[in-house]
Amino acid sequence: MAAPSYGLIATFDTTPDLYHAAEKVRDAGYRNWDCITPFPVHGLDKAMGLPRSIVPRISLAGGIIGFCTGMSMIWWTGEVDYQLIVGGKPLFSPMFAFPVSYELTILFTAFATIGGMLFLNGLPMHYHAVLKYEHIRRGMDDQFFIVIETRDPRFNLANTKALLEKAGGKNISELEA
Amino acid sequence: MSSTYAATASAALPSENSTAATATKALTVGLVGLAVTALGAAIMPDRHGPVMSYLVGITFCTSILIGMLMLILIHHIVDASWSVVIRRQFEHALSAFKWLFVLFIPLLVLAWVKPGFVWPWMDLTHELHGHGTVGADILYQKKSGFLNLNMFTGMTLAFFASWVWLSARLRKASFTQDSDGDIKWTFMNRKTAALGLPIGALTLSFAAIYWVKSLEYHWFSTMYGVWFFANCVRGALAVGVIIMIWLWNRGDYKGVLNTNHFYSIGMLAFAFTVFWAYITFSQYFLIWNANVPEETFWYNLREVNHDGSTNQWWYVGLVLLFGHFFVPFLYLLSYKHKVVHSKIKPIMWWILAVILVDMCYNIMPVLKDGHGDSLPFISLNLLWVFTSVVGIGGVCVWSYLKSFPTAKLIPIRDPRISESLTHHE
Repeated sequence: MAAPSYGLIATFDTTPDLYHAAEKVRDAGYRNWDCITPFPVHGLDKAMGLPRSIVPRISLAGGIIGFCTGMSMIWWTGEVDYQLIVGGKPLFSPMFAFPVSYELTILFTAFATIGGMLFLNGLPMHYHAVLKYEHIRRGMDDQFFIVIETRDPRFNLANTKALLEKAGGKNISELEA
Repeated sequence: MSSTYAATASAALPSENSTAATATKALTVGLVGLAVTALGAAIMPDRHGPVMSYLVGITFCTSILIGMLMLILIHHIVDASWSVVIRRQFEHALSAFKWLFVLFIPLLVLAWVKPGFVWPWMDLTHELHGHGTVGADILYQKKSGFLNLNMFTGMTLAFFASWVWLSARLRKASFTQDSDGDIKWTFMNRKTAALGLPIGALTLSFAAIYWVKSLEYHWFSTMYGVWFFANCVRGALAVGVIIMIWLWNRGDYKGVLNTNHFYSIGMLAFAFTVFWAYITFSQYFLIWNANVPEETFWYNLREVNHDGSTNQWWYVGLVLLFGHFFVPFLYLLSYKHKVVHSKIKPIMWWILAVILVDMCYNIMPVLKDGHGDSLPFISLNLLWVFTSVVGIGGVCVWSYLKSFPTAKLIPIRDPRISESLTHHE
C-alpha cells in the first residue's frame, strides 16, 4: 500500500441514504469531497452544503467587458482613428454604438460563462481516480457513492472511515491516486 | 404531502371572509376613483386632461390583463409545468375583462358623441397645426379605410369579445378539471392556446394601434404592437409576483410555492425587461438613424418645444430608459433579488409604476398648447391618471377577489401539478 491514496469511497444503495450521509459529511466540515449519482438528485447540493456557483459573476464580468469593448471600439474608430461624417450624424454617439456593444455584451458573456464553467469544473478531464474503482460503473446505473479526498484538511484515514461507516456507507475502500 | 395540503387549502382558507371584505373594499376604492375622475372631467375647464388620463388608466389595466391572458396561453402551448400553481391566479384575474369593456364604453360613447375629442382623426374638420383639416389631409385619406369610427368601434368590440371569449374558455376548462379531473380539459386548453395566441397577438397589436398610436395618426412604427406586448407581459408578471407574495403572507401559498417558483418568474421578468428595452430602443434607434421628419416628429414632441428648449417629456424619456430598463435589469441580475420575497416585491411595484409612466409617455403628449408643444408631464393630469388607475384597478381587483373563492387555490388535477409543486431549478 505504498501507492499514494486519492481518498475513500463509500457505497450507498438508495437516494435517501446518500442524501443523509451527505448531510453528515457536510456537518463534519469536509470540503474536498463529492457525491456520485446515476441521476440528478434534487436538493443534494444543499445537503452537501454547496454554495451557488460563481459562474454568474464571471458572466457579468464578461458582459461588462463586452459592452465596454463595443463602445470604445466604435468611439475609437469613428471619433479618433478615421473621422467620417455619415448621414449628418455625430462622429460618436452611444446610439449607434449600442447595437454593436449589445452584441458584444452577449458574445463576451457567453464566452465568459462557458470559459468560467470549464475553468471551475476542470473539464475536459481525461483521468479521474474514481475511474479505477472496480464498481464505479454502478454509479451510472443503480448505486450511489461518496468520495472524500485525502487532500481535505480534515481527512484522517481512521476517522473518515468511521464517519462514512456511521453515515451508512458500505464497501468503504481506498482509491489509488 | 404538499398536494394533500393543496387539496384542502381552499376549504380551510384562513380568511375566506377577509377575501370578501377586501373585495368590497377594492370595489369601494375603485368606485371612488372612478367618481373622482368623472368629477374631474365634469369640472375641469379643459376636459381633455381627465379623459386622456382615463385612457392611460384603461390602457394600463387592460395591458396587464392581456399579459396574463398571453402568459396562460403560452403556458398551455409549451405545456409548461412550473407555472401551474401560479396560473390559477391569472385565470381569476381574467374575469375582469368584461368589466374593462364596461369601463371602456364611456370612451366609445364619447367617440360617437364628440368625435375627435380623444382621437383627433375622428373629427374630419379638426384643424391640424399649420396644414388644413384632417379630412383634407392626404395621410388621413390614405388611412381612412382603417381609421374611421365604424372600424374603431367594431375593432374595439372585437378585441374585448376575443379576450372575454378566450378567458371564458380557459377558466371553464381549468375550473372544471378541478372537479372531474378529465384530461380533455387540458387538451381543450391546448387548442384554445393554439388558436388564442395569434388572436391575442393581433388584437393586442391592433388595440395598441387604435387606442394609443392613432392619437398621432401621422406617425407609424412597426414596433408598436410588440412594444405594447412587452409592457403587457411585464405588468402581468409583476402583478403575478405581488399576488404570490400576498397569498404567501396570508398563508394560502405556504407549502405550495418554493424558492424556484420565484426564481423562474423572476427570470421571466428579467427576460422581458431586456425584451422591452430591445423593442423600445430599436424603435427609437431606427427613427433616430433614418432621421425622416414623418417619424421623428413623434419623438420631437417628447423632447423639445417649438423654440428648441427641452421639455419635460425629455426627462420622462430618461426615466423610462433608466427606470424601465437599467434599474430592473441590474437589480434582477442577482439571484437573491429574485427569490427573497422582500427583495423581489419592491422591484415589481417599481416596474408597474414605470409601465404607467410609459403609458403616459405614449398617450399624454397628444395634449398640446397653442404652439403645438406637448403639455408638461407634471401637471394636474397626474392626479387624474392616479384616480383612473385606482378606479379601474380597483374594479379589476374586486373582480379577481370575487372569482378567487369560486375555484381551488391551485389546479389540483392538472396533469402537471405534482411537477409544479416540486419545481426545481
